[in-house]
Amino acid sequence: MLLDLTGIQKRFGGVTALRDGNLTVGPGEVHLLLGENGAGKSTMMKIVAGMERRDAGRMLWQGREVSFRAPAEAAAAGIAMVHQESLLAPHLTVAENILLGREERLPFGWVNRRRMVEQASRTIAEHHFPLQADWRVERLSPAGKQLVEICRAIQHGSSLLIFDEPTSSLSGAETEEVFRIVRTLRARGVGVIYITHRLEELRAIGDRVTILRDGATVHTSTLAEVSTDRIIQHMVGREMVSIYRRQPVEPGKELLRVEGLARRSVFRDVSFSLRAGEIVGLAGLIGAGRTETCLAIFGVDPIDAGRVFVDGRLARIGSPREAVAAGIALVTEDRQKTGLALRLPIAYNITMANLRQISHFGVLDGRAQGRVTAEYIARLRIRASSGRQAAGRLSGGNQQKVAIAKWLFRRARVFLFDEPTRGIDVGAKVEVFELMDELARSGAAVLMVSSEMQELLQVADRILVMRQGRITGELPGHTTQEEIMRFAALERECAP
Amino acid sequence: MMQRLLPFLSLMVLFVALAIASPHFLTETNLSSVVRQTAVINTMSLGMTLIIISGGIDLSVGAMLAMCGVLGTMAMESGMPVPVGILVGVLAGLFWGSVNGFLTTRLRIAPFIVTLGTLGIIRGLTLIITNGLPVHRVPPGFAFLGEGNLLGVPFVLWVVVLCALGTHFILENTRLGRHAFAIGSNPDAAIYAGVPVAFDITVIYALGGLLTGLAGMIEASRLMTGQPSAGNGYELQAIAAVVIGGGSLHGGEGSVIGTLIGALIMGLLSNGSDLLGISPYLQQAIIGAVIILAVTVDELRKRRGRAEG
Repeated sequence: MLLDLTGIQKRFGGVTALRDGNLTVGPGEVHLLLGENGAGKSTMMKIVAGMERRDAGRMLWQGREVSFRAPAEAAAAGIAMVHQESLLAPHLTVAENILLGREERLPFGWVNRRRMVEQASRTIAEHHFPLQADWRVERLSPAGKQLVEICRAIQHGSSLLIFDEPTSSLSGAETEEVFRIVRTLRARGVGVIYITHRLEELRAIGDRVTILRDGATVHTSTLAEVSTDRIIQHMVGREMVSIYRRQPVEPGKELLRVEGLARRSVFRDVSFSLRAGEIVGLAGLIGAGRTETCLAIFGVDPIDAGRVFVDGRLARIGSPREAVAAGIALVTEDRQKTGLALRLPIAYNITMANLRQISHFGVLDGRAQGRVTAEYIARLRIRASSGRQAAGRLSGGNQQKVAIAKWLFRRARVFLFDEPTRGIDVGAKVEVFELMDELARSGAAVLMVSSEMQELLQVADRILVMRQGRITGELPGHTTQEEIMRFAALERECAP
Repeated sequence: MMQRLLPFLSLMVLFVALAIASPHFLTETNLSSVVRQTAVINTMSLGMTLIIISGGIDLSVGAMLAMCGVLGTMAMESGMPVPVGILVGVLAGLFWGSVNGFLTTRLRIAPFIVTLGTLGIIRGLTLIITNGLPVHRVPPGFAFLGEGNLLGVPFVLWVVVLCALGTHFILENTRLGRHAFAIGSNPDAAIYAGVPVAFDITVIYALGGLLTGLAGMIEASRLMTGQPSAGNGYELQAIAAVVIGGGSLHGGEGSVIGTLIGALIMGLLSNGSDLLGISPYLQQAIIGAVIILAVTVDELRKRRGRAEG
């Protein structure tokens, strides 16, 4: 065995990312690592590649117990990782990126540019990659960047290569190219760990498969021994502990209609409608285009085609300002980056989108602000010392409530929630669900994007599924995770 | 809370120390001369406070000050009454501030670069307009702005106090001020909340220009000339005043009171050095060191605050 992981554990603060990770990989084997978002795949691989250190468990590398303190140590031992997101320096050339951090040591820190180009060119030629050593990386397509990452990883003759969703941004032909490379590596006796979300890729490339769920290894076998349906079942788990379930209400009039929305190479043909009183789920894997769709409806990203109707009227939305004016609210995926001004008081954040309401001729009414803030702190049960407390000092769940309060005070009618439960604890999650329910009952239309399928099943009246920039299915709220997964992860033709 | 009071306490300590060290410090002549000397930087730094809180910076205010002074005095030279001349200077500031705001928001270029560019443009144009020569023939009445007294105190003190109250009101009690904090604290969150970011930023730079124009007229009145080379390096003093007073160059933090204290600390340091016979060369070094010290202390306070939170 090349690599042998037993009972690996890792916690980040109060969150357990990995509680029982097990995995073995031999030379000349392509080992698929599967699991839902947040199952612990990336954490486990970061531990192997020396980017994180394990809290407990045993890691054997070529028979010896090891613990890498830095990626450089793992690299020296012969382990390399091809990252999902490009970790390249865009202004440097292909050759400089491939050899970054491994330049030959010459006196005075000089770099032998000619030798670097030679070395990189040799690797590129060996694998017939469509690259030139002197190209600047920023000019490359996503596929090209992925190839540079792969070159980087194989440059030093590693014995184990980890691919973290290498094909998520690639086209069909480019994916074939990656498969060819993986097969070449296998033939040379290199071990490969391959993380993917695309279930149709499995059989084209894998030898064995390990499935993680909720931070633990739940299944390991050869690929021949297990059906795709079984794999999906292992990934989602069968137990559905329902702590909350919404009682749907009779939907009212249509508040939002999206027709043929498209944004080049991001999403296309996106059409759906939301009615008052409805909570509609939007499911899909990371990179399916769900967040991008919300950003386009909200006027952050421009669209290439399509129309948006709010309350039956065509809405021309070219900026978030226009979206807000039309009555649309977006509770963003990353509240720290786009949702809240963390250093400013809670009161400022709650009133930010609707200062007009608490001012006369541009002059703010301090008492009205105090009243509004107190009202929302009480209504949403925001645990804060006062409205003057900086929003950044609150817990994740309370920060999320402030972000929601901002839109409640704006009296928006169409709510787009992007991953509303990310990074908040179970109690706060239920409170957020209850808020969404309350909104719907009071006549708002709610779209909820979530990677947590179980949450969608608990909250949504119906569920839209996106895959690779298109809506591939619409399911009733009482569907199953297996059913969602089928539309989210399989090719269209394979879907029933 | 103690830490927040630190700039104010430093100012008090400095004041008392100077009163003890020099018998000439606590005299009416000296104190009113401190007020007059600091009025220009004070007025400018009020505008800079708005700009820095909104996450921007304006490097062109020194050059702008010179152009406003020159245009204002030229207007008076051509026979316009003093108040009209002053208005010309102030409006020139408003114009250039708007240009800065317009360029940063429409071209989406970093304000550091935009105002570095307009610094050169404005300074160059000022020298062209004047041929590099100062404007001398100004009506004697113009001296009142910089050197006159009203109700027993320097007239400029009233001007500075009025401007400070106005700026404070804008920052703390108007939508514009609230937007400035929001944009400076998290521009993306402000955009996503529907704040008219481009418009607000333009108005903020315009207000900064307006205050700079007024500062330019005060400077011209004190010198009784329109100097095309006036205001060299003032932008850095204005920025320093904001920063010493607790403003953050990352935006979202700062206050009018803090800025005034910052400007006064710098003013007292230079006045005190004069009284104690410390060379003006060393003064520059002292003020430089104080800037670093003030920001370091403020940064440590914030870091500790974060660790506790």
